[in-house]
Amino acid sequence: MSALLEVNHLSIELTTRDGVAPVIDDLSFDLNAGETLSFVGESGCGKSMTALALMGLLPENISRVSAGSITFAGETLNDASEDRLRQIRGNDISMIFQEPMTSLNPVFTIGEQIAEVLRTHQKLSRRAAWKQSVELLNAVRIPQPESRAADYPFQMSGGQRQRAMIAMALACEPKLLIADEPTTALDVTVQAQIFDLLKDLRRQTGTAIILITHDMGAVAEMAERMIVMYAGRKAEYGSVQQIIEKPRHPYTQGLIACVPHITADLSNERQDLLEVPGIVPSLKDFGKDQCLFASRCEHRSSRCTQQRPEEHQFSSDHSAECWHAVEYQE
Amino acid sequence: MTSLLDVQNLSVRFEVKRQSLFGKKSYLYAVDDISFQIERGKTLAIVGESGSGKTTAALACARLLDAHQGKITLDGENILAKQGEALRQIRSKVQFIFQDPYSSLNPRMRAEAIVAEPLNSLSHQTSKQKREVVDQLFDAVGLRPEQKRLFPHQFSGGQRQRIGIARALATKPELIICDEPVSALDVAVQAQILNLLRKLQREFNLTYLFISHDLGVVQHMSDNIAVMYMGKVVEYADRQSLFQTPSHPYTNALLSAVPGIDPGQRRQRVLLPGDPPDPVNLPAGCRFASRCPIAVDQCFTDQPELKARQSGDHLIACHLQ
Repeated sequence: MSALLEVNHLSIELTTRDGVAPVIDDLSFDLNAGETLSFVGESGCGKSMTALALMGLLPENISRVSAGSITFAGETLNDASEDRLRQIRGNDISMIFQEPMTSLNPVFTIGEQIAEVLRTHQKLSRRAAWKQSVELLNAVRIPQPESRAADYPFQMSGGQRQRAMIAMALACEPKLLIADEPTTALDVTVQAQIFDLLKDLRRQTGTAIILITHDMGAVAEMAERMIVMYAGRKAEYGSVQQIIEKPRHPYTQGLIACVPHITADLSNERQDLLEVPGIVPSLKDFGKDQCLFASRCEHRSSRCTQQRPEEHQFSSDHSAECWHAVEYQE
Repeated sequence: MTSLLDVQNLSVRFEVKRQSLFGKKSYLYAVDDISFQIERGKTLAIVGESGSGKTTAALACARLLDAHQGKITLDGENILAKQGEALRQIRSKVQFIFQDPYSSLNPRMRAEAIVAEPLNSLSHQTSKQKREVVDQLFDAVGLRPEQKRLFPHQFSGGQRQRIGIARALATKPELIICDEPVSALDVAVQAQILNLLRKLQREFNLTYLFISHDLGVVQHMSDNIAVMYMGKVVEYADRQSLFQTPSHPYTNALLSAVPGIDPGQRRQRVLLPGDPPDPVNLPAGCRFASRCPIAVDQCFTDQPELKARQSGDHLIACHLQ
């Protein structure tokens, strides 16, 4: 069986004032139905650009797919017509955005916004679409869905708005759901509710999920496989379990170690957190033939600044792009 | 032992828009009868979800909001009674580090001017002295001297937060209120700022009131922790006993909601059903009762008091503990 989504050697160029920068640089991955793949990294690493490329929503005029292909359910998306993309978006592939307040339309009720998706893609009547949207709100556990469907976004709490966004994204039972930092703006208890909801829905509908996040805890909770992105490139790829047990790329190690995790055994001596010094390089350094993480890496050698690292396979389901990933691990 | 900051029975209320012109005034108690203390050189963290009153309590401690009731003592002085010049003196003793380093720096001022601004209004130093102070501050927070002349947009998020920290340190304050200082930053940068805050605390014996919703960060940073829910402190303990024996059902729910990376250590999830109650028409009993997995009848009628239920200093507001 071929994968639901196959991305091969995808590169995306972004035109900036300083010239053309490859914001996605030779990215390949695939995703099967019912599976969750997570993209992890700091802001500016190309996570959201990947998502926009999959949706065919790259900002016009300033960005384009310069190489590679995106194949979804056997169809090549990157040269599909705008009309065809409109059919796919919201129907086969849909997206949940980070900020539920700004991504809902403030002048339409929640029910109308969900019904619009159903009327456009499934050609339902007004009445049937409304009925269906009330059922969807019920499915995402919004209390009294009949009356809440007539509410405007501002009348709902942050968690309810995000649940309404999920209801809208799931209206046409998409094969692929892209969740771009779906819980970053929410409280932890609400975040837990949203994760449970997404897991239930995945079980019931077999939707594949791409989860974009910077929270390793969320990855461990939700995803089977993960890709660590750094400066537009894939730094590390593999099963979540293997990577968390034994991260190979120094950037992944930094990402895991720099977050204070809750532990039950406490001592009074608190160590400083491990720092990843510095920040993500600026766009004009993207695409250079060297390891882009080298400036922040304690293991760097002259080779790292002269040649882009090749992908090294550690197992069938674990690889990293680092010249030194093998040696210093031992 | 005397505390640097001592807050007793603090309440802060906001007037809610009346239903009609002659309708009754109603109030939202964002902070309702809470007490806490911080010793010099220590960190108290206030944890809770949005809307629990964490920031309101902190703003009242800095006299940026008026308290409705209660008493706030800083270094032996009742700061709620201060007016005019005396109040201005207090302002130099309590400084804020804000959540969002993008909106809390004036985009039209250079970094050095931003850091020097508290000195201009709260101290009487010559410009040469001020320049020296700014140089020292830049060094202390890890910024390079040549960056003094830059504008905020020329800095990254982490560097901007360093400017915000330097500004908070400028008047040599007694108390620094850190309101979600890292939640707007990238994960890798969060560690840099948290380490910096702890380094500065050790160097200058700083006292932090640390507001956060991230329990991992709180565990790393604090000595004592107050858990707030709907304007009330529901659990108050030192770091060890709070994380080793969390006792209030809300604290347990908060802890269990944090996704951990270690699959073996994952806690049994306590899912909170529903949403918090309407803050204007609060229920008569425990405010958490409607979402509490173990609530009994008494919880819906009597409000639990915050008191020690186990060993000495571990305070819990729950009938069932």
